[in-house]
Amino acid sequence: MATILQAKNMEKYYGNKNNLTKALDGISFSVEAGEFLGVMGASGSGKTTLLNCVSTIDSLTAGQILIDDRDITTMNQKMLARFRREKLGFIFQDFNLLDTLTAFENIALALTILKKPTKTIESRVSEVAAVLGITDVLDKYPYQMSGGQRQRVASARAIVTQPALILADEPTGALDSKSARALLESFQNLVRTRGATILMVTHDAFSASYCHRIIFIRDGRLFQELVRGSESRREFFDKIIEVVSLLGGDGNDLR
Amino acid sequence: MTSAELALRNVRKSFRDYAVYFMTLTFGICIFYVFNSIGSQQAVMDLSSSQASTMKMLDRLIGDFSLFISVILCFLIIYANGFLVKRRKKEFGLYLTLGMERRQVSRILVLETVFMGLISLAAGLLLGIALSQGMSLVTAALLGVKIDAFRFVFAFGTVAKTIVYFSAAFALTLFFNVLKVGRQQLIDLIYAGRRNETNRAPRPFLAALIFTLAVFCLAASYFMLLGDLLGGASLNIIIALGAAGTFLFFFALSGFLMQAARRKSLYLKNLNMFVLRQLSSKINTAYVSMTIVCLMLFISICTLSSGLGIARAVAAELRFSAPYDATLVMSATGESGEDYVNHAPVDILAAARDKGVDVSSFAGVSKAAVFYDAEGLVPPFTGRNGEKTLLYLLSLSDYNAALAMQGLPLLSLGANEYAVNFGATNADWSKILTQYADTGGSLTLGGRELRTNAALLRHHVLEVRTHLNLDMILVVPDDTVSGRQAKKEVLFINYPQSGLEYEQLCLGALSGFTVTTADGAELSGSVETRIQVNDYAANSTATIAYLAIYMGVVFLVASATVLAIGQLSEASDNCHRYSLLHKLGADDKMLNGALFTQILIYFGAPLLLALVHSVAGISAAGKIMTRIGGMNILGTSILAALFIILIYGGYFLATYWSGRNMIKTAYDSRRR
Ligand SMILES: Nc1ncnc2c1ncn2[C@@H]1O[C@H](COP(=O)(O)OP(=O)(O)O)[C@@H](O)[C@H]1O
Ligand SMILES: [Mg+2]
Repeated sequence: MATILQAKNMEKYYGNKNNLTKALDGISFSVEAGEFLGVMGASGSGKTTLLNCVSTIDSLTAGQILIDDRDITTMNQKMLARFRREKLGFIFQDFNLLDTLTAFENIALALTILKKPTKTIESRVSEVAAVLGITDVLDKYPYQMSGGQRQRVASARAIVTQPALILADEPTGALDSKSARALLESFQNLVRTRGATILMVTHDAFSASYCHRIIFIRDGRLFQELVRGSESRREFFDKIIEVVSLLGGDGNDLR
Repeated sequence: MTSAELALRNVRKSFRDYAVYFMTLTFGICIFYVFNSIGSQQAVMDLSSSQASTMKMLDRLIGDFSLFISVILCFLIIYANGFLVKRRKKEFGLYLTLGMERRQVSRILVLETVFMGLISLAAGLLLGIALSQGMSLVTAALLGVKIDAFRFVFAFGTVAKTIVYFSAAFALTLFFNVLKVGRQQLIDLIYAGRRNETNRAPRPFLAALIFTLAVFCLAASYFMLLGDLLGGASLNIIIALGAAGTFLFFFALSGFLMQAARRKSLYLKNLNMFVLRQLSSKINTAYVSMTIVCLMLFISICTLSSGLGIARAVAAELRFSAPYDATLVMSATGESGEDYVNHAPVDILAAARDKGVDVSSFAGVSKAAVFYDAEGLVPPFTGRNGEKTLLYLLSLSDYNAALAMQGLPLLSLGANEYAVNFGATNADWSKILTQYADTGGSLTLGGRELRTNAALLRHHVLEVRTHLNLDMILVVPDDTVSGRQAKKEVLFINYPQSGLEYEQLCLGALSGFTVTTADGAELSGSVETRIQVNDYAANSTATIAYLAIYMGVVFLVASATVLAIGQLSEASDNCHRYSLLHKLGADDKMLNGALFTQILIYFGAPLLLALVHSVAGISAAGKIMTRIGGMNILGTSILAALFIILIYGGYFLATYWSGRNMIKTAYDSRRR
């Protein structure tokens, strides 16, 4: 299998010499094509920073990130923007849909930014909408939808461009458990049927149990790695809980 | 942190975000000061008494006018500040949820407004004082006087007036906005502004219908303004139709905009969809504010271009009506105050000699003429706008004497002919007179019938006058006037050579000159001189020009502010939206393009329609002006365009730049 993402020795420091925060302190990992990878860690451990650096929204202090064999740390702003629209899909905790646009338009937006021919846009939007079960809300505005529907619209926007890598920061964070389960199942479905590659940050062991593999980070360093393999989701979940308690300190506060 | 500190911090923050608000306050205060300090500028100038009195009049006029202007500026400040408050509702909501009392929040708001007021007042006054120095030069140029030496003008009274007026405006602003926040529910404050307006844009079919109606309204008002209905239609109806047409136009436009959303090929291209939705999400506010802005721009363009044009035309007309160095007009006033009462004719030159007035001491050439009563000889002439002419009879030899003094070719008449002389030369009057002459205009005088024809129409000005002359003079053979009553006697005077000493001698000798006629009427004289007329012309040009620029600039600033504030008030929502687009991979070029298009539509649409309106408005003004001499539109239009480019264009760029900066800061804040 091809390697989609390769992060080598990622370092991200905030502040100055007197007051230095090592948000990322030498993390290396990789993501294979078609993989559903989870990133877990306590609050402040550096999860969001990691995701922002991978997603080219933030820049590293040191280290290297290769996506599709291209080093994103050496790209300029214009190349990065282009890279984002062509290679990446984003799913945010707070959905981040445009309130002025309908669901259809929010999804189509990703394609128009890519300057895709207008003829193909409609069919591609309705196709992903069918996959995510949001066909009947396509004409609604975000404020007319439930949280779960909004997040599925956001997911549709992320996958409609068929990105090499989908990045999700706590996508279930603002959802109730039923909607969360539905969303995670559609993620699983995307990976299985469309060969999508997903990197998902989460603090929630239940969400994490849908992943193929999980890396745990603590204080900006890699702490442990779990692979699901052939285990059932239930068994995997129990293992995750174990590691989470090992992460120590206030193990329950995992945000 | 105390309220004062919090407020100061907010002001500092607002300074960065709301350059436009401060720009407006500062501009407003500056303009107000500059124009109101005109009275004080005469200190540096060497003015004649008539110029000094014009300056006084101008000062008073601008003072009255400023009341009106300050109402507009006050609305503007309230509007701008209202947006500022609206944008920060969330912040106020946060203060309240944190347990701050409403009173404390209100205090922050009060302090903020006061700080902003103080800063902009200081900036505006400084700028105004600096600009008014240059204004003295302009005034001097307009009045045609020299400034001996540069002196710094500081109008203390105007500073005080400015402070008082604007403090009142700030007080009103406080009253409205503090009240607004005080009444808000916490929930509304926290969830402020994240919802689309309910779309009231008309559906396509209706939009087409409304558009037709709009075009009809506008066409009707243009037509009335320019066409044959001019005399009949009242200006109020034209204005009402124009305003309604403008509103309907933008209303229909909003409908078309929504329809464009259905054209997938256009809509699903680049960020067009996003830009269209940006517009449509505020569509109700958009078409109302575009209407207001369009009308204000129209007023501004018209006053700037035709105001100056009218001033020039008036000046030209007035110079035209000074065919001699001076005239003395003698007339009697009736018991109930009516002018030009009939009396026995007098020879003024003889009367002057009798009174010991030496006319030759100031007059190189002088001729006296008697203007006889012509009542009932011909039907009264009435102009298109209902203006009535004054009818006189003048003997051919008196008429030719006047023409000779002006160096004009003389008139000759047959024994049974008369000529008609009317000073105004515009098309309407020409038509009326030609029609009359073509009928022969038969009248009976001195026992015989006299007739006229189109070849006997003349358009000479016979007196020195500062106002429009509507004297209709029937020039008749000398023998036909004997035994008639006189209406007025006129003495035409040309000085031996031009020079102020003759002017002074003339005025000294003839002012207060009276004559008693054979039938006991008391004639009193009034002297008008060419120098007075020219002074008056320059002074009225200055007056009209000042008022036009004052009003034009204020309206221009007002319209640009309404737009700029409207755009920037959405900035926080926009920042959020644009940084999402940035995350999704839209590069700077796409983002800036979208923002530029959005702001361009807001600024461009009202300007375009206003320009069309203005073509009609200015042509109408030009038409009126051609009646009294015509005006040069080109020069003043260039001036108006310059103002628009400078102020409106400046606001446009300022809006775009601060919008772009806000967005860039929003999405760059994560990168370092
Ligand atoms: N912009 C920033 N400036 C300074 N420190 C930051 C910034 N962003 C994050 N940090 C610090 O970096 C660390 C990791 O933060 P983050 O990646 O947000 O953690 P997580 O998402 O795992 O909760 C924290 O200690 C946080 O305080
Ligand atoms: Mg986080």
